Parts: sequence; structure tokens; C-alpha cells
Amino acid sequence: MRRWRLLLLLTAVLLSSACQSPDPELIRLGIAGRPANLDPLHATDAASARVNRLLYRSLVDFDAQQQPVPELARWERLTPTRYRFHLDPGRAPFHDGQPLNAADVVATYRAVLDPATGSPHRGLLSLIEQVEAVDTDTIEFQLNRPDRLFPGYLVIGIVPARLLAQGHDFQRAPIGSGPLELIERGGDGQLWLRRRRDGQQLVVQQVKDPTVRVLKLRRGELDIIQNDLPAELIRYLDGREGIRIERHRGSNFSYIGFNLEDAQTGDPRLRRALAHAIDRGAIIEHLLAGAARPAGALLPPGHWAGHPELDGVDYDPDRARALLGELGYGPQRPLELSYKTSSDPLRLRIATVLQDQLARVGIRLRLQSYDWGTFYGDIKAGRFQLYSLMWVGIRTPDIFRHVFHSASLPPGGANRGRYRDARIDAWIESAEAAQTQTAQVTYYRRIQARLLETLPYVPLWYEDHVCAARADIHGYRLNLHGNYDGLLEVQRR
Amino acid sequence: MGQRLPLLILLLWALAALLAGMDALEPDRIQLELILAPPWEAGGLGYDDLGRPLLDRVIAGARTSFWVALWVVSLSAVAGTLIGSVSGYLGGWTDRMIVHVIDIFLAFPGILLAIALAGILGPGIGNVVIALSLVGWVGFARLARAQVLSLKQREHVVAAIALGSRRRRIILRHLIPLLSAPLIVEATFGVASIVIAEAGLSFLGLGVQPPAASWGSMIRDGTRYLLVAPHMVLVPGTAMLLVVLAVNLLGDRLRDRMDVRLR
Repeated sequence: MRRWRLLLLLTAVLLSSACQSPDPELIRLGIAGRPANLDPLHATDAASARVNRLLYRSLVDFDAQQQPVPELARWERLTPTRYRFHLDPGRAPFHDGQPLNAADVVATYRAVLDPATGSPHRGLLSLIEQVEAVDTDTIEFQLNRPDRLFPGYLVIGIVPARLLAQGHDFQRAPIGSGPLELIERGGDGQLWLRRRRDGQQLVVQQVKDPTVRVLKLRRGELDIIQNDLPAELIRYLDGREGIRIERHRGSNFSYIGFNLEDAQTGDPRLRRALAHAIDRGAIIEHLLAGAARPAGALLPPGHWAGHPELDGVDYDPDRARALLGELGYGPQRPLELSYKTSSDPLRLRIATVLQDQLARVGIRLRLQSYDWGTFYGDIKAGRFQLYSLMWVGIRTPDIFRHVFHSASLPPGGANRGRYRDARIDAWIESAEAAQTQTAQVTYYRRIQARLLETLPYVPLWYEDHVCAARADIHGYRLNLHGNYDGLLEVQRR
Repeated sequence: MGQRLPLLILLLWALAALLAGMDALEPDRIQLELILAPPWEAGGLGYDDLGRPLLDRVIAGARTSFWVALWVVSLSAVAGTLIGSVSGYLGGWTDRMIVHVIDIFLAFPGILLAIALAGILGPGIGNVVIALSLVGWVGFARLARAQVLSLKQREHVVAAIALGSRRRRIILRHLIPLLSAPLIVEATFGVASIVIAEAGLSFLGLGVQPPAASWGSMIRDGTRYLLVAPHMVLVPGTAMLLVVLAVNLLGDRLRDRMDVRLR
């Protein structure tokens, strides 16, 4: 009898500790990836960038069409190579109470441009020849070549000049002037944040496993979860009591890339055959739960430099077979290609379906899946025949020079497939030199149409952003980029 | 019936392994509209996260585990028995060296060593066989050595030595046949642990490579959908449970029958 009582007691203790109710004052956001770097001068990964834009403020932000708009400062173009920025007089001070001045902006950009800092953003900003403060509210940038897109590059969070000079570790203790400030870090990659406007406490927490994330949401250990959910879990959550699902169109561009120096994939007819063999509709419907829209170009149609009419290559297996036949491939001589992908379960699943779809027109795909580091290293070095990847957070059309210009071969750029097209090169240069935005748009649309014709990439889709929140959470809004800006408005009611 | 059930399960396993190469089976056939369909809706044993039939995949997985078990047990039994008996028979510093090697191997947890080896060799089913055999021979070697130490004192061995037989002949003809009973029992239990070890390595992604099926990799794929499609884990898990249980029951029975002391 005593043993039973002990057991009962033990169960009770275990249950009570497991049912600890979460603090109602907190709002917790669960995400898959850990924001690795809170230093805006060094961070490059998406999760860090999404948190950093809330901790720090930058000179410029973007509107819905991805046009640069004033954030900390409005600007005027004095000459094609000289820009003047006027800081917003009502700007918030840094988290430590010190005011933000032109000297801080200058110090931040000088630090980025200093090779000793080792900032990965230095390459993009290398067109800045000089940056100087005119007075406490005004900054001037002198460029070494004209670039109409220049204001859109100034998205680095501004940090205090004083701390920069002291060699402050912003990764450990981020101090910016953004609407959120870091209170402390918890275990398991938790970030405890305070909203400066009303003191609301927020926690951004990494939970790697999607099933665990969903269960934590249902139990109330998390209030919001965002993205990286398999289609089945979205369906599982949809319509469940006490949970609300929200979706928003996204701009992250998935594609299949080719090595154009390869004897097989260098042939545009072969690339077209492969593109016709892919049934994107079926993949979007069954593997992505409909949460994606077909893509025809790197920039989504809503982007100011996007092409409104391109939606990719149609699924047409007969045409694919015919094209392969013309190239001399057929049942007797099947085409074999190797395809690299990361070992992420969803990517591997999509790869397996692609393998199946291509097999139906007689293309044998050999899948090679690697952990992220190895995979990305191979892609950057150009060691692939075919691969699939996603461009995340693309905002300015300078991406076309970075990815498709023949002068952007790695390691200097991201033309990883070694695409060389004289017309594309000329149009990219003309777009950059164009004096009006209308002229720029014309060139960028031409570039995108030509890319769809020559297919250095097979455009696949833009994945939607999905979030699930508990019923008492209000005001969390998704946007095109899947960032965490919703934290600025979210309330528990 | 209760007596025959384990044997029946093993026969089914072997049969599945032999039949898995048939064209009628389509373990890799993708039907997107059947993704995660449970058995009670779509028939068979249900479908996996790519709409592939689980029944066909369990059979394909049976082949993987069966051949891996067969190869690993054969390789490690042959190697282990030879090394163990030579070591026991020769004695002296050879024996001491081999005992030290065996001790070193035994000091590591077997599966951890197999994971390390499979990691070094790279993924692939051939490498799994090599890794598991490199770990598996130790048990056989230790058993064979202990048996040989007591057997070599027997009269028929002494007689053979007196008659001038060669060492090889003595070991192969006069010692190893007498070892077979305990070694067979060891081999049976070895099969069970290798089925689990192969599944473990495949679960970690070190075994068969997609799209090939293994029970371990099927369970790994299934864990991601445990909330919405438990059948993806239950089907291969049950298959593995039944096989391992059957092998162990038969091993027990075999031991009872072969052990003279229990008769």
C-alpha cells in the first residue's frame, strides 16, 4: 500500500511540473533556425537579419513594391555619384539612452568598409568612396561609380560610434536604436526581448523539430510559430480549435540551377526539356499544401523591377520527350544527370519527386544529398551538374549582376553556373546606367524574359509564409519577406 | 501454433527477402495524391510521405535487413571463429595480443564503434556490412577461444597431436566442429542484434541511401509525421519487432536444445 502511495505522489509531482502554465505576460515566437549573429556588421543569415532589423534601425527600408523608402533618413541625389541623407529629427535614441547622430552612421559604414572588420557586406558597399558627416543630422556619401539602386544598399543596422570605438561585442550585447531591445539570452537559443513602445516582453525561441513546435503551440508553450512547417502539419493545425493559421505570399525564389560548362546541361534544348518535364503544380499542391505560387523570374511580379507576365515553363511531358528525342536520347540511351541538394527533409522529398517526374520522360536523376555546409560549399565552388536552392530576401535588382553577369563568376560573384550571355551583360550594364527608373524597368524586364528563354535557372516557385498563432494572440501580421516585424504589433487579448 | 509462430515469421522474412526483387513490387512508385494515406483509407499498409506503398517498402526493407544480417553474421562468424580458435590453440604471446585486441573492441559500445566506422567509410549498405562485421567478430572470437582452451585438453586432440597432425587440420577438423553448437546460438542472437543495428545506422542516414528502403530509414522518415501519420512508424516498427522477437525466441529454444546440461 505504501509503495502505491509513493507512486501516486511521484506521478502527481511529475504531472504538476509538466503542467506549469506559461507566463501570460510573455508572447513567445517559435522558429526553426537560431538567429546566429546579432552583430549587424557581420550577420548574413536570414534568421539573424530578421531579428536584427528589430534591434537596430537602418537608413533605408523597402515598401511593398520593394522600392527603397526612408527609414532613419530621407535622401537626395546631389549628383549621380553623391547622395545626401537627412536623419529623421524624431528618431529614437539608442537602447542605452544615447542619441543617434550622423557620427554613428559614418562610424558604422566606415567600419563595414574597413577590411580589418571583415564584414561580409563590404563587397556590395565597395562603391562607397567616402562617407562623412556634414552636421549632426546630415551625412554625405561619395560613390566611385553611379548606381541608381544605391539607397537600397543602405540597410545595415546603425550602431553607436562610441561602442564601436571601444570594440564592443554587439553579438553578445546588441545595442541599437530599434523598436525592440534584448533583455537577456535564455538557454536553447532563446532571446528575451522588450518592446520599447509599451514594455511588452517577447521571447524568440528556436525549436528545431516541426512536430515539437506544433505540440508546444498546442500546449501553450509557444504562442506563435512561423514557417518551416511541412504541409501535413499545416493541414493538421488548420481548423483546430484555439489555433489560427495565416498565410502570406512570399518572395523567396526556389529554382533549379545548371552547370553551363557541362557538356550535357550546357545545351539549352536539354534544359528546356527538363523544365517541361517538371510538374510544379503537383509539387505545390501535394508537398507544399498549396502554399506557394509558380515563379517565372527571380523577382516576384509585384516587385517594381519584376516582370508581370512571366510564370515559368509549362508542364508538357510530350514536348520534353520530343526535345530529348531530337538530342538523341531515348529509351535505348537514357539521359543521366546528377542533382545536388541539401539533406533538409523537405528538400530531399522534393528532389525525390523531381526524380520520379523526370524518370517519366526518360531522364535518370542521381540524387546527391549533403549536409548544408558541404552542399553550399560545392555550389559556391561550381561543383555540380544540377542543383536546387532558394534565393532568400532579394530586394534590389542588382541581384542580376551578382548572379548572371559574366563578370560575376565565383569567387567574386554568384554566377555559379558560369552563365555567359553578351545580351544579358549589356542589358545589366544599361539598366545600371539608365537615368530614369522607367528605363531601368524596361531593361530588367528584358533580362528576365531572356533568362526564361535561355534557362540558366529553371524557375520553380515562391514559397508562401505561414504562421500559426493561438486564438488569444492578435495583431501578428506576416509580410512578403517572412520577417518577424509582426512582433511590433502583437498583443495578447 | 504458438510453437511454430516464430518459425513462420522467420520464413516470411526470408521469403520477403527473396521476393523483394520481383517486378510486381513497386516500393519506389510515387503517387502524390496518396501521400500519408492511412491503411484504412487507401488499403494495404498505407502510404508514406511520398505516396509510396508501405507494404512494398516493408518487403523491400525486409530484403535489406535479411541480407545485411546474413552477410554480417557469416563474415563475423567465420572471421571470429578462426581468430578465436587460433588464438586459444596457439596460446602464448599470440593469444595475449589477440585477447588485448578483443578487450579493446569490447571496451567500446558496439553500436558506437559501428557508427564511427560507417561514418568514416561513408553511407551505403556495403559499408554497413563492413562496419557491423568489424564489430561483430569479437563475440565469436571470445566464445571460440574459451571453448578451444577447454577442448584442446581432450584426448582426441592430444591423440591428433601425438599422431603428428598439422595445426590447421587439428583446428579445422578436431576443434571447430565441436564449437558449432554454442556458435550457432551466438549467431542466432547475432542476427537479432544486427537487424537492430542496421536499422539504427539507416535511421541515422548511414545505411541505405534513398530511395532504397530499410526499416530504419522508414522509421526515421516516419518520425517527422508521427503526429499525423503514425502508421509510417508503426508498420516498419512492428515488422522489426516481430522479426527480432522471433529470432530471439528461436535462439532461446535452440540454446535449450543444444545445452547438454539442461537436458
